[in-house]
Amino acid sequence: MIVFFQSLISGILIGGVYALIGIGLTIIFGVMRVINFAHGDILMIGMYLTYFLFTLFHIDPFVSIVITIPLMFLFGAFLQKVFINRALNALPQNQILLTIGIGLVMSNTVMLAFTSDYKILTTTYSSSSVEILGISVSEPLAVSFAITVAITAALYWFLYKTDMGQAIRATAQDREAAQLMGINVKRMSIIAFGIGSALAGTAGALISPTYYIFPQVGSVFTLKAFVITVLGGMGSIVGATLGGVLIGVAESVGGVYIGSGWKDVIVFVLFLLVLLFKPSGLLGTSKD
Amino acid sequence: MKKLVALLLAVMFVLPAVALAGTVKLGFINSITGPEAPIGENLTNGVTLAIEDLKAKGIDVDLIKEDDTGKPDKSLAAFEKLATRDNVVGIVGPYTSATANADAKLAERYKVPLIVPAASKEEITRQGFKWTFRVSGTTGDYAGVLLDLATTLGKPKTMAILNENTDFGVSGAKSAKEIAQKKGIKVVFEEAYSKGSPDYRSTLAKLKATNPDLVFMVSYVADAILLMRQSREIGLSPMAFLGAGAGFSVAQFAKEKEISNGVFSSTQWTEEAPWAGSKVLFKRYVKQFGKPPTYHAACAYESMMIMGQAAAAAGGDREKTREALTTGKWNGILGEVRFQDYDGYQNQRKAVMLVEQVQNGKHETVWPLKDAVKKPIWPFPGWKK
Repeated sequence: MIVFFQSLISGILIGGVYALIGIGLTIIFGVMRVINFAHGDILMIGMYLTYFLFTLFHIDPFVSIVITIPLMFLFGAFLQKVFINRALNALPQNQILLTIGIGLVMSNTVMLAFTSDYKILTTTYSSSSVEILGISVSEPLAVSFAITVAITAALYWFLYKTDMGQAIRATAQDREAAQLMGINVKRMSIIAFGIGSALAGTAGALISPTYYIFPQVGSVFTLKAFVITVLGGMGSIVGATLGGVLIGVAESVGGVYIGSGWKDVIVFVLFLLVLLFKPSGLLGTSKD
Repeated sequence: MKKLVALLLAVMFVLPAVALAGTVKLGFINSITGPEAPIGENLTNGVTLAIEDLKAKGIDVDLIKEDDTGKPDKSLAAFEKLATRDNVVGIVGPYTSATANADAKLAERYKVPLIVPAASKEEITRQGFKWTFRVSGTTGDYAGVLLDLATTLGKPKTMAILNENTDFGVSGAKSAKEIAQKKGIKVVFEEAYSKGSPDYRSTLAKLKATNPDLVFMVSYVADAILLMRQSREIGLSPMAFLGAGAGFSVAQFAKEKEISNGVFSSTQWTEEAPWAGSKVLFKRYVKQFGKPPTYHAACAYESMMIMGQAAAAAGGDREKTREALTTGKWNGILGEVRFQDYDGYQNQRKAVMLVEQVQNGKHETVWPLKDAVKKPIWPFPGWKK
């Protein structure tokens, strides 16, 4: 029984970080109808940023998100303004090619600059844990989960309570109507991509103390983010949150009861089942 | 201008054919970048030292290095390039078991002698190949020495095996299981994980629930650190952690004191290894590269020394080089090396193994006792809070 709860807890905690990645992707998709296949690579950039802030300036990874978030926001806004905006009315396959291309350029640039060696970030708490009722809870994961919850809550508040948040949601609901109502949709797109990138970068920062960092790490997370978003319903933030936690738990519990080499199979079987029985995703409503 | 270019091209094409007298052209394939690069670095440096020593012996090596990033497809491409375009006499490398196993087949096809320095998957030299020679010990040797140590120091009854699902990992687990059964140790947990997951906690929790006396792990660097970190997190504390070389043997792992202290790792060579020149090579390596070498460095050094001497003696002829390797005998940093046929192996060195234990953030030779510098700490003292 302890094993079950242990894997459930680890799954939920790691799922929180997955959710953060998924939410970023889903916001970008919601506002622009562009699937950002460079999402994992943006996360990778966040990881490297965290790594160098830690090794060069000795800034704790969890503190450094204060720097990572605005930087990644600007980076995302830049990508949107310079590249993605030009392809907003293009065919979907061209948009996909564009984002895949941007991702490849990013991962290869990082590889040229820092080689493809694995970097490991070791903090004093990288392997610390607290024990609650016989279940050990990883300290860095628990902290990152708390930060994830705080950021998600702030994001909800921003999207539902502020004018700009409402404008972003309006753009997501109906781009043309929003434009007619006087919303600057281009600006909203830039902000949305910025937020999405900031979230991915943050997820990268949060996962750095317990994981390892290399230029191609992004592809793993792009795929995961995509599954999470589709699972939860494209464009649904609540759906992405739920999807992230669900994938985390499925990996963790499945790893115990079916075999850790089967983790990915479990995730994709779950994914296919949802697509079969509820094609719009768990909380999705098909619009188009 | 055009004439000049044409002349240059002509010279470039003709040169390899005449080949500079007195030099041998050799190839070296390694994980220079990529996930296994921290270990690959040791091989590269070992080869660099060997080239210097060959030069001192009057053998000039024209070495062509290829990076396979640890991927079999890239390794195959590198091998083909070296064998067909660069026309090398022999090749040393590649590092990982997956790449070495792939390249061994090409060595056979192109009839190029290949010396595998550090890949330990058993099957590599069990396929009836004539052109592949292995200096490295096998995963059977790894598991054997670790379990010798465990059964001498304590009375373990059960063992859990956790391995990466790669060529190296699977072979390591298979050997460990066979040898454990021979020694009367029950294997209570076996699992192959796929690398790259951020979370092994659930698997480790399941392992912990079987309460094994020994935990045997087969992993490369990044996962070795991750697995030990998460073992500490969930409070897994067996009689001993046994690491099958590779990721557990590098300085980067030892430096993570909090999670590496007390972990045993099998090795093929250490500073205290009982062969002439070990200490000298160790010191020279530290001086030149600024960090302590792993056994991979010594294996690569010896492999290149052997290949260089054999190829030079054979006058750059591949077939004669192969014959020289089959029949020759060398005495160097790894003691006496002969490539023999035994136990279903062909052209395999019988490796003499040692065991290191991380003590105070450093790898110390603890086994066999006659070569040990520190007493092995047994059982595992538990995690510091």
